Amino acid sequence: MGKHLINIQVNGEAHSVEVPARRMLSDFLRDDLNLTGTKRGCETGTCGACSVLLDGVVVKSCLSLAVQAQGSSVTTIEGLQGEGGKMHPLQESFMQCGGLQCGYCTPGFIMTACALLADNPRPTRDEVRAGLGGNLCRCTGYAQIVDSVLDAAEKMHGH
Amino acid sequence: MRDFDFLEPTTVEEACRMLADLGEECRAMAGGTALMLAMRQRMLSPTHIVSLARLDALRGIDFDPDQGLRIGALSRHCDVAHSAVVQQHYPMLASMAGRLANPQVRNQGTLGGNLCYADPATDPPGCLMALDARVVLDGAQGERVLSMQEFLVDYYQTAMQSDELLREIRIPPPLPGSTGHYARFLRTAAEHRPLVNVALALRREAGCGHAVRLVVAASTAIPTRAIRAEQFLEGRVVTPAVAAEAAAMVAADIDPLSDQRGTADYRRAMVGVTVQRSIAALFGLAQE
Repeated sequence: MGKHLINIQVNGEAHSVEVPARRMLSDFLRDDLNLTGTKRGCETGTCGACSVLLDGVVVKSCLSLAVQAQGSSVTTIEGLQGEGGKMHPLQESFMQCGGLQCGYCTPGFIMTACALLADNPRPTRDEVRAGLGGNLCRCTGYAQIVDSVLDAAEKMHGH
Repeated sequence: MRDFDFLEPTTVEEACRMLADLGEECRAMAGGTALMLAMRQRMLSPTHIVSLARLDALRGIDFDPDQGLRIGALSRHCDVAHSAVVQQHYPMLASMAGRLANPQVRNQGTLGGNLCYADPATDPPGCLMALDARVVLDGAQGERVLSMQEFLVDYYQTAMQSDELLREIRIPPPLPGSTGHYARFLRTAAEHRPLVNVALALRREAGCGHAVRLVVAASTAIPTRAIRAEQFLEGRVVTPAVAAEAAAMVAADIDPLSDQRGTADYRRAMVGVTVQRSIAALFGLAQE
């Protein structure tokens, strides 16, 4: 079973890594690149904890092979950090609005919200709920997650 | 997940040859969302995956007023949903593609992959059947063009041969007055697989429908045209009573699936409700 050399940009850094064909993108990020912010939850495409940006759109990295990302650019939760370790406005808002309890689903929610706000800078509450439809949280009941995204939209883009 | 060889042909001919040579031991992959899930759960363990990602002939969405719409099989659901020509000429299709599954899957899953997987609990096949779509297959023996009824054979089964791949989907140009409504019923707001979906396409003239195509899917093994209800609605002025009668016909005529997601009786009842609401929405009738 062959190995494949993949060239991939992760959080702005170029990597050239040999991987077996069956390596999932989520495992590649966590185990090969040690970027453990991306979580493995259900591993069956349901929970969205593994969501990352692939060439700017949000995908579930547990349903993607690393070889499929050849030549692509990936952004994980680690890539949202600003200068000097400054948190992204979405991360600030999740903290301030109580958008998490155990925190396991949070990186996936924040990456999905990041793509949502890039597409739609001032979403309505219903648009946020629809946009987060591919992510599950078993703690919060979602209301404060939606509040967090709306709060971040306001901070980032104003009314 | 078991290991496999990952092959990346760059032409359709090369891909078809690989599929022919490897036979049942290999699987073609487009976006991979459904295939990865099946492989991770060991429902499928192919020795080879033939990636279609480098086949440019399977890309693009084009509209021609005489020929209609051509959607390359590798078009992702988000590409279909956001396409200006799809939104303009086939709003029912754009609406379906924008609601299917969830944002992540729409960004990765492809229309061609969805059709070839032939999962009953999905959205595109029924919508495309209502729009009278054709699929174009390429294989070692050449090209075949099939209607959706010919292409979809049974539960997770299509008419494709093992050396064939789906190149593109074609939809005829819309006629004047063409309109449609696509409805899906989910058991809970968070669910991504519809329990029922109904696609209704017709030409609307003075409160009547013509060339009516009414397709029920997700509750049946393969999408099913409701022929008796289509004929009943043809040319008839649509009133709430007519909508109710058509809905009752559809519910009576289908052969519903029965599984842990919904019993046959529940599905039959919800098909009736969804059809009635769809007709009411399309003709601007007051809803209950």
